[in-house]
Amino acid sequence: MNSTNPNDRAEQAEIDASAKWPVLVFFGSAILWLLLGGALQLIASIQLHTPDFLAACPWTTHGRIAPAAQNALVYGWGMNAAFAFGLWLMARLSCTTLRHGGWLFIAAKFWNVGVTLGVLGILGGYSTSFELLEMPRFVTLILLAAYALIGVWGVTTFGIRNTENVYASQWYLFGAAFWFPWLYAIAQIMLFKAPVRGVLQPIVNAWFVHGLYGLWFIPMALAAAYYFLPKILGKPIANYYLAPLAFWWLVGTTAFAGGSRLIGAPVPIWISTLGGAANFLLVVPVVVIALNLFGTLSGRYGALGNSVTLRFILISMVGFVLASAMNFALSIRGFAQVVQFTLLTDLRDWLIFYACFSTAMFGAAYFILPRLTGKEWRSSALVKAHIGTAALGVLLLTVGLAYAGWQQGHLLNDAAVKFGDITQALTFWFTFRSVGLGLLLVGHIAFLINFVWIACPFSSKGTASVEFAPPPTLNFSKKSATEGHA
Amino acid sequence: MSSSPDKNYRFEQAGASDDSIQQAHAQLQKQKPDKANGYSFLPLGILGLMCSSVFFGSIYLAHYSVRFDPLVTNEHAKREKPGAVVAAAATPAQLGKKVFTSICATCHQLTGQGVPGAFPPLAGSEWVQGSEERIIRIVLHGLNGPITVEGKEFNNAMASLGGVLKDEQIANVLTYVRQEWGNKAPEVKAETVARIRGEVGNHPAPWTAAELLKIGQ
Repeated sequence: MNSTNPNDRAEQAEIDASAKWPVLVFFGSAILWLLLGGALQLIASIQLHTPDFLAACPWTTHGRIAPAAQNALVYGWGMNAAFAFGLWLMARLSCTTLRHGGWLFIAAKFWNVGVTLGVLGILGGYSTSFELLEMPRFVTLILLAAYALIGVWGVTTFGIRNTENVYASQWYLFGAAFWFPWLYAIAQIMLFKAPVRGVLQPIVNAWFVHGLYGLWFIPMALAAAYYFLPKILGKPIANYYLAPLAFWWLVGTTAFAGGSRLIGAPVPIWISTLGGAANFLLVVPVVVIALNLFGTLSGRYGALGNSVTLRFILISMVGFVLASAMNFALSIRGFAQVVQFTLLTDLRDWLIFYACFSTAMFGAAYFILPRLTGKEWRSSALVKAHIGTAALGVLLLTVGLAYAGWQQGHLLNDAAVKFGDITQALTFWFTFRSVGLGLLLVGHIAFLINFVWIACPFSSKGTASVEFAPPPTLNFSKKSATEGHA
Repeated sequence: MSSSPDKNYRFEQAGASDDSIQQAHAQLQKQKPDKANGYSFLPLGILGLMCSSVFFGSIYLAHYSVRFDPLVTNEHAKREKPGAVVAAAATPAQLGKKVFTSICATCHQLTGQGVPGAFPPLAGSEWVQGSEERIIRIVLHGLNGPITVEGKEFNNAMASLGGVLKDEQIANVLTYVRQEWGNKAPEVKAETVARIRGEVGNHPAPWTAAELLKIGQ
């Protein structure tokens, strides 16, 4: 299996060719949802400091816009991007073509019709009251059916692999392919089909939300990081023998961590305690994964200057560590007492979803799309704009919202301060968030323009083609690992 | 690698093929790090982290789960099971009551009033609330002949109970009668009973009131 063998090269081109249209459709839909969801998110954010903004029409009131934005981003952008990236990487690492692209097209259509109906349903006032499950009930079946078609190809592709060995990224992709339908179906059944009663509902909801972030989006980001670091650096993952431990420990404990979202809620105390203990145990895999990933990057930070993908992956890795630290901190009762229901709890989910997951998908897209289309990114200025706004946006929003949330929590705990005054006092920070989200949106528009130039059959004619040289073999002896790779 | 600085933004170069990534890592997965000086910190450090996180996680879980009770929503709630009966230590008087009802109440009655003309009362009795030296002797060895209690004459016999009751039981029952029915006298210690039993030694005949009045004045 020497990759300089021309047969292997041809096979890789064959894999990319088989994955081209499904992946482009998923990525294309993802980016459209990213812009739409981002715009809705921006409107919702603006309404918090300018309450009159678009408040006249019921469809655009904050109570509808905010969940619509969250659902559009999570199910529109997040899931589509994860499908695109996951299917491509699974095919590549399983060394087999992506079969039945036609079914994937149909599944992609159904998925996106489902998300469209769901977001419209939320805006039209038919939302349910459960976080990330706000879409009207009938949409669920469309989404689950579409997912079944998508997930089954991910799993089958793994099943018919032509490789002897299985790599870390595949563990996470394969696992996530099962965890999402498990979480989603159980949450739907327990909350809508045969609803559990009273206090059990928020528990199921918290379990689902935490699971979706921790067992779908984080594994996707980790699969990207574990793949692209050795792929681009030409250097194996440091201390790779610890990676299986981190994987099993991570998936084993994350499923129990959801209760930590319910600290202080009138639910049996052991549920939030169990969640806190699980978040405490998660320190082990986070340390191991950080050793794996940062250990690989260490000594090679110079390579960041040559690779957009690596820079996005670095943001994602930092986002992963920060999000895990935030999960841990929010499980501490004393800390949660101050910052619960503030901008800081929003920041936790945003760190997982944007700083960790979304940036990893951007990095993956910059690597994958030129290979699928055989064309290069037309505007390097727009690429720079995207990476620049993403880095700046993540930095500003993390620092700003953490500080603002802390301040907001202290004000909320002070009985002498009126609630209206707190909102007034935080106007600056709500505006700050709008500016940050707007900044990210600018980067996403730059991404879309470049995507159209590289992927759209009509507008990509003027984009220069690119030939990829066959990649060298990965050397993992001590001596060669320290040498640079051309 | 690149002809112009912007080249890096146009597309990404791969540094390793997928095959070689898989093969190399499959080998690395089995391979522990090189042991410089025969000692490697990392596996031990990770093991320590695992153990301590499990240790503290379990303690935290055990401490704040409050028996996994579905009705408890506050981590500072009492940790005992609601309705659990805690075995409280019985007081000497409570233990003495059992002895009294099974033995003494036959003559002195449950009310401690005795039977007029036959058995002297214990409630309000100057003998009961008087010197413990005398009543301990009465219980140990019995009493015979005339006795004046609360200004009334009685002439009857009380059996010796020193062979039937242990020192502690005697102390308990005396404490009970000295603190029941409005009686207010200090409790009797088992050590006192043991001392008197030892001092008197064998005392085949019951005491008489006259004998007792000479003792413990």
